[in-house]
Order: sequence, then C-alpha cells, then structure tokens
Amino acid sequence: MSAAAPTERYRAISPAEFFYKYREIAGFSNPVRALYQAVRELVENALDATDSHGILPNIKIIIEKADENREFYRVTVEDNGIGLPPHVVPEAFGRVLFSSKYILRQTRGMFGLGAKVAILYGQMTTGRPVEVITSQPNLKRIYYFKLRIDINKNEPIIIERGSWRKNRDWHGTIVSMTLEGDWSRAKQRIKDYILRTAVVTPYANIVFMTPDGEIYYYERVIDKLPRPPKEVKPHPYGVDLELMKRIRDNGSFSTVKEMLMKSFQGIGNVTASSLLEIAGISPDLNPKSLSDKQLLELVNVMKNYKRFRSPTSEALSPLGEEVIKAGLKRIYDPEFVEAVTRRPSAYQGHPFIVEVGIAYGGKVPLSSDKYPTLLRYANKIPLLYDEGSDVTTDVVKGISWDQYLVKLPAPIIVLVHICSTKVPFKGVGKESIADVKEIRNEVRLAIQEVARKLRTYLSKKLKEEEKKKRVVSLAKYVPEVVRALTIILGDGHGAKAKMLEEKLVEIVSLRTGIPKDEVYKVVKSVEIGV
Amino acid sequence: MAISSVDKYARQKSIEILRKKFASVAKRILEGKRPVLIMPKRVLSNTIYDMKKKLLLLGPEMKRRSLLDVNEARKFMQTLLMASIIYEALVNDEYPTIRDLYYRGKHTISYRDILGRLHHENTWDEQRESDAVIRDIEVFLGVLREEMLILSKEKGKVVGNLVIRSGDDVIDLSKMGHGAYAIEPTPDLIEFKDIDAEFVLVVEKDAVFQQLHRYGFWKKYKAILITSAGQPDRATRRFVRRLSEELKLPIYILTDADPYGWYIYSVFKIGSITLSYESERLATPNAKFIGVSMTDIFGEEEAAKNIKKLASIFGKDLKNVLSKPRKKPYLSDKERKNYIIKAKKKDVERAVELVGYDVADKLISNPEIKKYIRQRKMGVSGYPWFRTPEWIKEISIFFSKLAKLEIEAMASKGLKFLADTYIPTKIETGDWID
Repeated sequence: MSAAAPTERYRAISPAEFFYKYREIAGFSNPVRALYQAVRELVENALDATDSHGILPNIKIIIEKADENREFYRVTVEDNGIGLPPHVVPEAFGRVLFSSKYILRQTRGMFGLGAKVAILYGQMTTGRPVEVITSQPNLKRIYYFKLRIDINKNEPIIIERGSWRKNRDWHGTIVSMTLEGDWSRAKQRIKDYILRTAVVTPYANIVFMTPDGEIYYYERVIDKLPRPPKEVKPHPYGVDLELMKRIRDNGSFSTVKEMLMKSFQGIGNVTASSLLEIAGISPDLNPKSLSDKQLLELVNVMKNYKRFRSPTSEALSPLGEEVIKAGLKRIYDPEFVEAVTRRPSAYQGHPFIVEVGIAYGGKVPLSSDKYPTLLRYANKIPLLYDEGSDVTTDVVKGISWDQYLVKLPAPIIVLVHICSTKVPFKGVGKESIADVKEIRNEVRLAIQEVARKLRTYLSKKLKEEEKKKRVVSLAKYVPEVVRALTIILGDGHGAKAKMLEEKLVEIVSLRTGIPKDEVYKVVKSVEIGV
Repeated sequence: MAISSVDKYARQKSIEILRKKFASVAKRILEGKRPVLIMPKRVLSNTIYDMKKKLLLLGPEMKRRSLLDVNEARKFMQTLLMASIIYEALVNDEYPTIRDLYYRGKHTISYRDILGRLHHENTWDEQRESDAVIRDIEVFLGVLREEMLILSKEKGKVVGNLVIRSGDDVIDLSKMGHGAYAIEPTPDLIEFKDIDAEFVLVVEKDAVFQQLHRYGFWKKYKAILITSAGQPDRATRRFVRRLSEELKLPIYILTDADPYGWYIYSVFKIGSITLSYESERLATPNAKFIGVSMTDIFGEEEAAKNIKKLASIFGKDLKNVLSKPRKKPYLSDKERKNYIIKAKKKDVERAVELVGYDVADKLISNPEIKKYIRQRKMGVSGYPWFRTPEWIKEISIFFSKLAKLEIEAMASKGLKFLADTYIPTKIETGDWID
C-alpha cells in the first residue's frame, strides 16, 4: 500500500465532506458502479503491493453474497505483497487521508484513497466493518484488524485486533469489506475488468471466484516483471502554484536556490541561478519568506524556460514487449502476436511511454467492421468505458487497416498502454484519454510499427493460402491424368496407376512445398463422373 | 466389321506413336520429373509465311504444357483425356467424329478445396475446347486427325477420269452419273489407280460445279472437276494436294471475285492461319487462281489508273504486271452493270485485312467507306502473300470500284461461255495469278 509508507506525511480533511464531494468522481454513484469500483480499488492496490516491489503476484479475488435478504456483497482480495507495518493499518484503512507527497511515481491507485472511499461506502450502506490481515516479509507475526471509520472525527475505530505467529513464510495483505452492490448488473463489467487486467499481468496468478460459484483462474505464464517505477522529483515544466506552495511550506531549505535544486529534476546550479535571475528573486533568500506573488512569478518563469532537459522516464513502469505478448497469448492464444514499447516521450513536462500490442487470429474474437477490438490501458489499469471519446480510439479508427491486409471485421485486438506520471484523462470518469498531440502521435507511430509486422505476417499467410489453392488446382486433375495414361499404356497396369499417382503427388508436393498428405487429401477427394 | 487393310495400317501406326509419346510422359513422371508436354505453339504469332516454300507454316516456338502450371494444368488434363479417348477409339476400330470425341470426354470431376467445400468441374464445356485439344494432340504427336481415323463431315466432291481405290473398293470417278464422289475425311487412305486428265479445276461454288459436270466439261477438256463447296475442308485440300504432288496435274482454282473467294484460293495454295501446322501436307503451292478476276470484269485500263496512284507505296514494281496490249474485259458494259454487286462494308474490311490499309486508303474514293475503314482498319498491314504485284493489281480494282462478282454471273452470260470460252481461254493464255 504505497499510500501508507511510513515516511510520508498526511493531511486530514473531513471524510464526510470528502465522501459526498468525491464519491461520484471516485466511481461510487450507484450499487452497480460501487461493486465494480470496490473490486478495482482492491485489486489495483494488491497489484501495486506486489509487482511494484519485485514480487510475482498471487492475487485472489472472492465476491460472495453477504446477506440473504439484501444485496450485500463481501469482497475479499488477497495478495502476496509487501504487507503493511501493523501500526499504520488503522490509519491506512480507517482515516481518509490526503497524501502530502509531491514525489512522483507511476502507480495504479488514483489518489491513493480509492480503497478508503470503498470502505466508507461499504460502511455507509451495510454498517459492516472492514477486515484486514497483513504481514510483512521480515515480521514474525501476522496481524489482524477489524475496523470502522468514525465519520465525524475521521478516525479509525478498532473493533478487534490480534496477531499470531507465522508458521510459514507468508507475507501480504487480505482485505475483506462488505458493501451494497448489484452483482447481476455489475458482473459483466467486473469479469471484463479482471480479464483485461489478466491480459497485462501474465506474470500474476489470478483467481477470481464469483457469487455464482464460478472460478476463473489465470495462471502465471512468465516470471518476468515489468521494471518497477522509481520515485523521481517533478519536472519543472509540470509545476504549478499549489505545488510550489507546498514545497515552500513543508520544505526545510535555507535558500530559494537550494529549494529549486533539491525539489526538481533537471535543475542544477546554473539553471537555478538563471531561473531566479529571470524571475528577479535573490538566490539566497529564505524560501519561507517568498510571497505568493513571487512564487507565481517563479512558476511562470519555470513554465516558459526553454532549456530544461526532457523529463526522466525512470518514474515510469512500462509493461515491456515481452509481458504484453505473453499476456495476449495467455488469454487469446493468437496465431500472431507482436508488441512494441516506444521510447519515452513527454508532454507538458510529463514523461510518458506508449506501448502497443496486436493479437490476431486464434481465440481473438471478431472485431466490429469499423475498427479492431481495442484494449486500452493507462498505467496498467484497463479502461473500460468511454471508448468513443478516447484519443486512442480515434487513432485506431484513422488507420486504414486494409493497408495492413486486415479485412474488417477480423479477429484482431489492438492493445494500447499509456503510462505516465500524469495520464491526461478526459473528464472526471478517468476512463478515457484526452487528445494530446504528443500522445496521439506516439500512439499512431506505435500502432503502425506493430501493424507493419502484422502485415508481413498476413502477407506471408496469404501467400501460403494461395499456394494451397494452387495445389488444389493441380491435384484435382491427378486422377484423370493417371486414368488417361493407364488407358494408353495398356491394360493390366493397375499397379502402374498406383505408382503414377504416388509419383504425381510427390512431384506436386515437391514443387509447391505443400506436404504430401495434404496433396493426397485433395487427390483422394476427387471423383470422376461419367 | 470389315476393316480395310490401309485403314488397319493407319491405325496401327497412330497407336504406336500415341503409345510411344505418352509412355515417355509416364516415364518422366515415374522418374520424378515435371510432367510436361512439349509441342509447337499454335498461335498467330508463331505462324510464319515461308517466302521460299510459299507456305504458311508453324513457327519454331515450342510451348511446355505442364501439369504444375496453374494456367496450363486443366489443358494438360484435357490433352491426356483426349489422347486416351482417341486411343480407345483406335484400338476398338472406331471412327469417331470430333463431336463424338467431345461427348465421350465430357464428364464431371468433383473435388474438395482446402476448406473441404465440394466443387464440380466439367472436363470441358464446349466443343470449341475439345476441338482445340484435338489440334494440340495433332501437333504434339505430329499425326493428323485423318491418320487417327477421326472423321469429319464430307464436303468436297470430285468427278473426272480418275480411278481410285478407297478401302477395299475400286471406284471410277468418271462413272458417277449426275452425282459425284464425296471426298472422304481420310484422303490419305485413297489410292490413285488410273488417270486420264490434264488439269484439275477446283470450283468454289457447288452449283457451278454441278452445271459444269452436267455440261460435260471434264470430259471435253480432260479435267478433274472438284468443288470445295465454300471454305475447303481438310480432306478436300489434302486431296487436291495429292493430285498436284503425286499426279503432277496443274491446279486451277475458280472462285467468286470477292475477298472471300481470294482467301479460299490462298487457303488452297498456302494454308490457313488456324491450321498452319498442316500446311505442309494440305497446301498446294502450285495452285493457280484462274478467276474470276477483276480485270476479267473491268479490263486492265482500270488497273493501270490505280497503279499510278500506288506508285508512292510500291514504286515501279507494279508497272510490269500490266500486259501489252492491255487486256479487254470479258463483259460488255451492259453485262457488267447487270452482274456486279456493290461491295458491302464487311467485304471492304476483309479486303483490307488481305492487302493492307495503305492500299485501300489510296484507292477508295467513297468518303463514307473511306472514313469507316480508317476508323476500323488503320495500320493493318495485310498478309505478305497478298502484297504481290498481281494481287495488288487485282484488289486495287475492288477498292476503286467497290464492286464484286459471283461466278454464277459468268454462267448467266451462258454456261457455254463459261465452259467453252472463259475457262479454256484463261488456261490457254496463261491468264492467272500464281
């Protein structure tokens, strides 16, 4: 649970206020959305606790009916991640927190508080507490908590707590919560979500048990994890006044110059001096003494400064070509799969990487006749809704697939993953990506790059099929030719007929490169009428 | 069935060639080599006019018909299928016609494609296809269909002081009454026993043949009288050739004075484009065009005028073809007016194909026809064997007068005129085109 790392600071706001303000943004507008969103938050936290820390994930998701009369569902998500230190568990689950960190790193969680909104929603709709079991790798005990949130005070209430000795080397977290939901209407979404998650986590074992008694098991197919993201300082292009204020108020820097150099990437001695000179601020000033107006001036200077290095992409965790290919293979068993991870790029000071995978044939479902089936991901999270307004959709639609020998509808999936320290989502739903020129370009180039490989494959396949068709157009005459030759060569040549046929099949096979048994199949199918 | 001995011999020979050729095809297959039939290309571009032999011949280009070539596989199959049918007919002492062969070989091949779908395909659909395959087998084997005892409809007729042996019978062609001997489809199996004739007259029109026959023309002038009844079939051409080659008789050909008549003559003399592979056996290089010629109708004055107009194309070569003194027409002005027929556009087009657009363009004065021809036939270069001074002289009158004439017209002037004046005079004075 990255939000609960002990070194980070938190600022509390009224959770009731927060909840009412944000539950729709956070996706808890109705029982359908809420159940889906709760599963999502817990699964994403589980994955962040594992793959971001170099652990091959084992994730178990259980949704069960929790009340006979009412639509209450208990959602349990278990991971084998790094676990939580026992003393932060009540805070992490029982207090709605606002992260104070301005350190950037690509994570799945939206604000680091999605899970808490889910818990709050569950508590408000069912009154039931959340249960947490966790242990860290170096701890000898497993800790158990039953919590609820005191909404008014915004404080965790510990209903039960306990611990027991580990008798096996287990670490990870199990979270169970109960909420009002609508399984029958949410199930397709939830299944989709887990399937799409499974597509990009071939390195994870995922078990999913539904209230209908179904069990989905996605078995790990590779042991390679995506590169974990590093925490990096923000790039000056992405700076805003709020961020600057927080740095000023929370930091302990002796001079403004030191503040700039230590808080941002790409600002050294020289750059810091010239920035401050342009802004007309003395480099030796104590940052605490800076007025908001001066800060704003500094922000504007930084935004317009042209000579920064491009933002570092170390904070990004792309899936990697191997993972994408393995993931698509695991789910769709396609006849063709290829992927590309583009080189890092940036928009408005935010680094981003575009990755594209294409799967064709096999168990890939047939696409629409307009454009290939699209699997969209942002920071490894599947985007399920608002496909129509996503820039990726627009790019995919704009590609003339004919050129790549894809005749729509076709069994083709295009997977697009955009990872960034700041994904430019469109609207509050965070389900589609806005049309940013740099991203649009990268997406197009990435798709074209993979599509070219698909084209090569398809053209080869087409040739192969042509070859087979050619074989039919030759082999179908073999029996007639044999018959005619045997007549001319005289009677009593039954054995010769057999030999001639065998030889002709062999010659046709040899000259066309199609296996003998396939040629034979055609020859055997021939019937000569009278 | 009583099979004549010549017949038996021909069969045996064809069977042997067939077996030998196809045994080598089978041998190639058993050796794992590409199944191919190598044969001369039977297309216009591979048809050559041999200036020395004065024959239309098949050129040297060969084609390899391979079972492994998608475009040729069907034809390969058809060729073998046809060969097997012909072979069966030969060994069973049958005499199939080309239509029989078409029906015997027509059947369905059903097969499944790579997706397992069932397809049906006919070995051939139209007789045009099977006929083409028969021609392929002829060139592949170097054996003519007549030698394989494949029959076609009898068309040509002959009478005269000639005794032949056909099958096991001896036939006197001077004792046919009002009828005539139909030239059999296998003229090579005919044996010439006795002959008392000085020349051969081949008449395009069956009606004119009958008139001359009843008039006793062949008796009076010691002729062998033959008609091809229009376009000559292979048997008639072969028969005429044998008369020329074996009996050393001069051959005179009498046709209508129109482009079709001229072409019929050229088929007798040098061969046809579609059957160029048979020319060496069927063509009669010594055959002479005796009439009806344009100068017989219009006289040489008309030709002289035309020749001046053509000087820019042919230079002085043409001048020598005019005789001195200039030949007078056989028809009076009034007769000519009654007998000639206005040439149709189709006739003019055909004539241009024979002699070339440049000649036509210089001579046609009718603006409508001139335009019509320019649109359709511009650049047509004509056949080399019709671009000789004699033929240019002949056809030039056709273009300048846009008129044609049927042989019947000469008979209308009086059968006596045709039989006793026109033909004998032409022969005596050597007034023909060679």
